[in-house]
Amino acid sequence: MLIPLIAGHRDRNVIRTASLSLTILASALMAVPAIAILLGGDPLAITAYAPAGLFSIGFFIDKLAAFFILIIAVVSACIALYSIEYVKHMEGESRRNLFCGCMNLFIFAMVLVVASANTIAFFLFWELMAASSFLLVMYEYDGHGTARAGIFYFVMTHLSTLFVLFGIILLWVETGSFAIASLTGAPTLMVTLAFLSLFLGFSIKGGIIPFHKWLPYAHPASPTPISALMSAVMLKIAVYGLIRFLITVFSPELWWGILILVFGTISGVLGVIYALKEHNIKAMLAYSSIENIGIIFMGIGLFVILTAVELPLLATIALIGALFHSLNHAIFKSLLFLTAGSVITATHTRNIEQMGGLIHRMPKTAGLFFVGSLGVAAIPPLNGFASELLILIAFFTSVTEVEPLVKVLLFVCLALFAMTSALTTSCFVKAFGTVFLGMPRSAQGENAHEVKALMLIGPGILAVACVFLGLFALQIIVWAGFSVPMPDMLLVGLLLILMLVLTYVALYFTSPRTIRVSDTWGCGAPSQKAGSEYTAHGFSQPLFMIFSSLYRTQITNDREFYDEPRAIFKSGTAEIRLLKVFEEYIYLPIAMQFRRLATTIARIQNGCLDTYVLYVFITVIALLVFLGWSV
Amino acid sequence: MSSIEFILYLVINTAVVLLVAPLFMSLLKKVKAKTQGRQGPPLLQTYYMIAKLFQKEAICSPNSSWIMRVAPYMNMAAILVAALFVPLVFVPGSVGGIGNIILFLYLLTLGRFFMALGGLDAGSAFGGMGSSREMSIAAIIEPTTIIVFAALAFAFKSLNIFDMVFASAATSVLATPTLILIAISLFIILIVETGQVPVDNPETHLELTMIHEGMYLEQSGRNLALMELSSAVKFTLLMALITNLIFPIGIALTLTVAGIMIAVVLFVIKASVLTVIIGLFESSIAKTRFFQLPNLFTMAFFFSTLIIIIEVFT
Repeated sequence: MLIPLIAGHRDRNVIRTASLSLTILASALMAVPAIAILLGGDPLAITAYAPAGLFSIGFFIDKLAAFFILIIAVVSACIALYSIEYVKHMEGESRRNLFCGCMNLFIFAMVLVVASANTIAFFLFWELMAASSFLLVMYEYDGHGTARAGIFYFVMTHLSTLFVLFGIILLWVETGSFAIASLTGAPTLMVTLAFLSLFLGFSIKGGIIPFHKWLPYAHPASPTPISALMSAVMLKIAVYGLIRFLITVFSPELWWGILILVFGTISGVLGVIYALKEHNIKAMLAYSSIENIGIIFMGIGLFVILTAVELPLLATIALIGALFHSLNHAIFKSLLFLTAGSVITATHTRNIEQMGGLIHRMPKTAGLFFVGSLGVAAIPPLNGFASELLILIAFFTSVTEVEPLVKVLLFVCLALFAMTSALTTSCFVKAFGTVFLGMPRSAQGENAHEVKALMLIGPGILAVACVFLGLFALQIIVWAGFSVPMPDMLLVGLLLILMLVLTYVALYFTSPRTIRVSDTWGCGAPSQKAGSEYTAHGFSQPLFMIFSSLYRTQITNDREFYDEPRAIFKSGTAEIRLLKVFEEYIYLPIAMQFRRLATTIARIQNGCLDTYVLYVFITVIALLVFLGWSV
Repeated sequence: MSSIEFILYLVINTAVVLLVAPLFMSLLKKVKAKTQGRQGPPLLQTYYMIAKLFQKEAICSPNSSWIMRVAPYMNMAAILVAALFVPLVFVPGSVGGIGNIILFLYLLTLGRFFMALGGLDAGSAFGGMGSSREMSIAAIIEPTTIIVFAALAFAFKSLNIFDMVFASAATSVLATPTLILIAISLFIILIVETGQVPVDNPETHLELTMIHEGMYLEQSGRNLALMELSSAVKFTLLMALITNLIFPIGIALTLTVAGIMIAVVLFVIKASVLTVIIGLFESSIAKTRFFQLPNLFTMAFFFSTLIIIIEVFT
């Protein structure tokens, strides 16, 4: 089933379309066995390459892996469909084919990470995924800010790889094998370290705060299909890694769960609070991804806690919630990224303050983005709500069961979770409102046109999936063989439609059906201008004020005066700037230290041949001495 | 059998809530007017107003889209479905998870989502201001709401409002200390969610101070009527949540005509008493400045957390 290797076809336009069509076909081919395994088929084991002893590359696909392969397949297919049209709008003729090839390599690597049967293969494809995605982020290498994004991404993603490698080595030291297999006995120090290392690696890749900084840089810099793929799928690979190692390898302790839960909660709340301040539409979606990964981590943390206190039923609900949210987030976030990409293609700007009124110019894109917003804002009966509901149910039910101190922690996390969810609603009301409603705020916004059909069909499928996964949430989970105490969303959906119809019918017969079109009331001003609309900044101002301590604004003002007692004002500047707390206080200082270290080390390389000969000589002497010692 | 019972419940509950909801809005205005030494509107005024608005045509701005036309309907539908989650006069067995308290909360969010987008649609500054403030308030009250709901679930050992009301009605001990504390928290949530003083002042017609009404400033005719009616229904629902959980006297547990009649009468009396209390409460304090609201909410939050801690450690 892994044969359709979607690999790089590097040629001209037709080949590009063919390559992307192959991607769709391959995704479809992958989805079929994945669904079969999910529905209780036998796990699939393949040994691909086993040259000697320990070092083998093998694949093993069980339900968990099949589930994530399904996520990759569905999202990739829709993104590929979208890309067929989108690449035509991209700059750099010579690179576009390379782009398709790289994208396929990226998808391929992600599938293989999930399918890996041992840690060697896992690590190898993890690195392939990191490298191919880096090339894709750098696509517009001459673009504004791309280099910076690239460096951030490169460093962070390799830090992640490093920690994963470290964790794998620690596990190897402990067990002496590279198999992803269960450890026996209580966790030793080595195992705990391995967990922490892996957790760190996956957190960096998943964009958990405070390791998130690469996300809001890399997403806006990369082409839309890549933003969508990274956000919707690559982050899920980190989630997969964490769940895989927690379930299959470790027997987690309570405090591991608390650690994951706390990091998840922090990411959730801060992610959405930072999303609120972002007016670059892609960066906003990137922060929203951080928030959603936070929610998924909360579900996983809860799962670990509940497993540790031996409440397997509730633990299963939390885990299903986390997994279901992974799927749902993959779907609505790729939908949002793709439609945002369409908007950017149409308006040539990423700043939502310059959009507005697009619902009249791009009605279909608006409708699709609207569905995505409903999904991400956890509005019933859509999919985002269904999975958050599961996690909430796990929270609500577990608080009665666990010991008091954990209970207090759970209540605090629950409260913050609720706030995250409500802030997301606010954030996406703002996003949809400023991008699509009202009047255009700039000439680019005014001249926007609807995108081509393929750029609507791809997201369209995702939008249908959003609604479907929401309405049939309960049925799907039961179908997959689990029982959860969640309300039947289909019934809720039907009741909503029933009430809608009843209201409509009641009004149809009782009141006049005419609608008069007349200007918006502007306090008597004769005509409305876009300038009088509420802006995105204005919209989130109350929340800025309330959370001002989290944003760390810096107010500077320099003034010059004509006279000594500073009475007659000459000129001056004042600036209110949002500090990038993590970047300015954590990342850059660490980076500076490394740079200093690197400068010191660089002195060794002075470029003189005789110095190098000296190094070789010293090395030989050292080797001789060492060998003499050991013999 | 139970499905027939359930369908009857749907019909009765929806009919009752739609019929009695406007009454409390007028009563509230009347109480406030009396405390200010005014006569106040007649008790049926809200019915007249809604009936009048239904007769008028709707006006929409040329800038607006389908969002503004759909918002009143979606909002109404969401509130009506939410209304099915709170038994007013009769408690059936739950079907398909109807009555789930989390879903109830998020159905209110569904209504609010459409209402807020409706506020932004016409491109008027007032609508945007209303939407922005409403969404901000909703976001910061949410932790309190969820904690109170979790406390309810904790106290009744169920996530379902039906089960809660049923358990409450079945026990002879009324109003345990925990329940009274929860009732106070629910009262705060009621004030915030329905936009009453000190959070918002529904009486005001100075646009800059409006929150809730600001969002549907551009709505008119039948659309405005739907918005008004849905606000009234929401107010009634949250009141019902308090009265039926804390003082469930008279609520019908079996489906008989006489039982339902008595329950309706008793519900109207209980809710009227609560409305009068709300009116007096509102008249006794002034509207808070917007940016001081978080302090108020923090208080409510700690109060509800206190309940939890009492529950947890006893």
